Amino acid sequence: MALEQEGAVDFYAGKVLRIDLSRKTTEVEPLNMDWVKQYIGGKGLLLRYLWDEVKPRLDPWSPDNPMLFVTGPFAGTNVSTASRLVVGAKSPVTGIYDDSYVGGSFAPEMKFAGYDILIVTGEASEPTVVCIKDDVVEFRPAQQYWGMHTSQIEAALREDFDPDCKVISIGPAGEHELPWACLSTDQYHKAGRGGHGCLMGHKKLKAIAVRGTGRVEVGDARAFLADMRRMHSEYILTDDNLWANEEGTPILVQLMSDAGVIPTRNWSQGSFDGVQGINSEAFQKVRVRNRACYQCAIGCRQFHEVGDVRGEGPEYETIALCGANCGVGDIGALMKFNQLCDELGMDTISSGSVVGLAMDLTEKGIHDFGLHFGDIEGYLKAPELIASRTGIGADLALGARGLAAKYGHPELAMEVKNLELPGYDPRGAFGMSLAYSTSDRGGCHMRTYPIGDEVLSGNMPADSMEKKPWMVIFGDVANGFIGQNFSSIKFSLILCDFWAVTPEQIAQLLRHAWKREFSEDEVRQIGERIWNLGRLFNLREGVEPDTLPRKLVEEPFKEGPSAGKVIGWDEFQRYQQEYYKLRGWDEKGVPSEAKLAELGVDVRL
Amino acid sequence: MPHVLISRKKCTGCHMCELACSAWHEGAYEPTLARLRVTVNPTTGEIKGQTCMQTACHKCQDVCPHDAIYTKDGVLYVDETKCNACADIPEGPLCVAACPYDVIHIHPRTNKAFKCDLCGDGEPQCVAFCQNPHVLAVTLKADRADTVTA
Repeated sequence: MALEQEGAVDFYAGKVLRIDLSRKTTEVEPLNMDWVKQYIGGKGLLLRYLWDEVKPRLDPWSPDNPMLFVTGPFAGTNVSTASRLVVGAKSPVTGIYDDSYVGGSFAPEMKFAGYDILIVTGEASEPTVVCIKDDVVEFRPAQQYWGMHTSQIEAALREDFDPDCKVISIGPAGEHELPWACLSTDQYHKAGRGGHGCLMGHKKLKAIAVRGTGRVEVGDARAFLADMRRMHSEYILTDDNLWANEEGTPILVQLMSDAGVIPTRNWSQGSFDGVQGINSEAFQKVRVRNRACYQCAIGCRQFHEVGDVRGEGPEYETIALCGANCGVGDIGALMKFNQLCDELGMDTISSGSVVGLAMDLTEKGIHDFGLHFGDIEGYLKAPELIASRTGIGADLALGARGLAAKYGHPELAMEVKNLELPGYDPRGAFGMSLAYSTSDRGGCHMRTYPIGDEVLSGNMPADSMEKKPWMVIFGDVANGFIGQNFSSIKFSLILCDFWAVTPEQIAQLLRHAWKREFSEDEVRQIGERIWNLGRLFNLREGVEPDTLPRKLVEEPFKEGPSAGKVIGWDEFQRYQQEYYKLRGWDEKGVPSEAKLAELGVDVRL
Repeated sequence: MPHVLISRKKCTGCHMCELACSAWHEGAYEPTLARLRVTVNPTTGEIKGQTCMQTACHKCQDVCPHDAIYTKDGVLYVDETKCNACADIPEGPLCVAACPYDVIHIHPRTNKAFKCDLCGDGEPQCVAFCQNPHVLAVTLKADRADTVTA
């Protein structure tokens, strides 16, 4: 009742909590329901708030650069996979926005505490943790926590603040402002990419702990429960999704190696000769249990144990970049490296990319970092050195672009817009070229996944660009693959990629939230609206041109399944222009007024 | 004697059961008022499930000074007309203190004891929402129908 009086609707808490670290003040304001209606939640709402919160061309290091923690409408309910949180800011790494998603239980706990969004601004004068219990917010000095690993800070706050609190934190890497420092929650869950840990460390904020004892209203709860049971059995607990529970992402390792697209030895090969040591079969032998994110019926998280290392993961991207890309096929060493990155709070995609690059620089005789492909000793020392910026870590902490440039070989850095590329080489999956070049946050595989059709289902030829611009934009699961518009709406609800959801199923969920009809077309249109809003933000902040590392366009592999295949610049540019045209953007990728008006985007450059 | 059990080996810690329980009984998602409890240590992956053993335990019934807990078909129920949250007892609610599983509490709005009632006549929601065929960690032990005829 109280919520209705405040003008909120079911599913939303209806409140935004502003936290000013400089002044140590907080403020609660109503959620902007006009924006909710246009942009739903998650990614869409994040972008709309960022547009207003970030002054144009703001220095990302400025205390004014806000960090936003945004939930989706279905966090804290029985909607499977919808517990995800998005963390967003103007990234100090890419200079554009970065929206980084993380599972676990933090977002539902925020909702139970009564908040849809946290907006953190300012800079603390000393290490600080923010503790939130419902409507009580405390700033606590955190000198005694500074330097703690991610498992330690979580345990300490459960002890010192509240035994049931959920924590999002940085590790030592964030404290040292490593560009790829990440945020951790439930220890193994990472808002990994784009340097949010770096930003949080810069603000001297070690952690946010939240405990919520309130409720999420959904209207007729028993009717909602009945429909969720139906959705679970019809749409979620099906063979399309249960692979994630049975095998999880390690299933991709052998497939990608066989297809010749797994980055190997700093992207010099597409198949890894040591793959048997780190493929799904190998991980199943050391699997000890299954875990799930909050409110997820699938449960894709796998606990593994080798020697004294026990923990969740690693996932495919980690196995690809920290395994194959570093020439490491030893499962114990890979798990140790993954554990170090988790505890230090650093993204494993960038970690594996940079260490692989340093190995390449060493083996090519350009600079001796004492790191060699497949050499476990140096490899396992690297994470600590990088996180603390000591020894070779001082150079490696520059990131792939900075490191390669310093030693005069920029062509060896595999990044787009200064974000290191994930585990798919576009030379064996041409659609990934456009996926990377047009991604809204730089090198990322989560905005569109053409490789799903190029390699996994085989529905599209991997070595042709025919139909690819269309599929990168408009594809959705009903059509067999995921495009940017569709992932934009999916990440606004915020559903996980491991639910192969369709536009119609999303419409069914939104009908519960909005108590009105919702068509598939409307779902698709909101997705496109969000993607265009993101493009405007990036243009306003000065985005780099949409392109790829030269090597991936010009230099084919000499051997392996992808041998001889290369896109070439002419083809790449032609199809990128086709992509812009399909989007209603000009040849530089600027959305037309007609397109923005058609989509109902409510801001302009 | 019907009661819900959670297998700590099989449970993935998704909390779907607590969510469904609270929505069924409270009309909104409010897991602090769920009638069962799952505790997860995210670092070690250890999981503990706490559920009411009903008449196999009945410690709450034994200590209640107001005879407010009664048995029907092997299930323990709170008689809200008799429960006064032990307002007259200096040590506070005796059932809450006696419960070895921490699954009977005083409701913040009704100020009466509340506990698992197996969702009335239907299937318990916690069991219904542990649907993953590879998990099935939350189960109803002993059928109610069997108990009734026994």
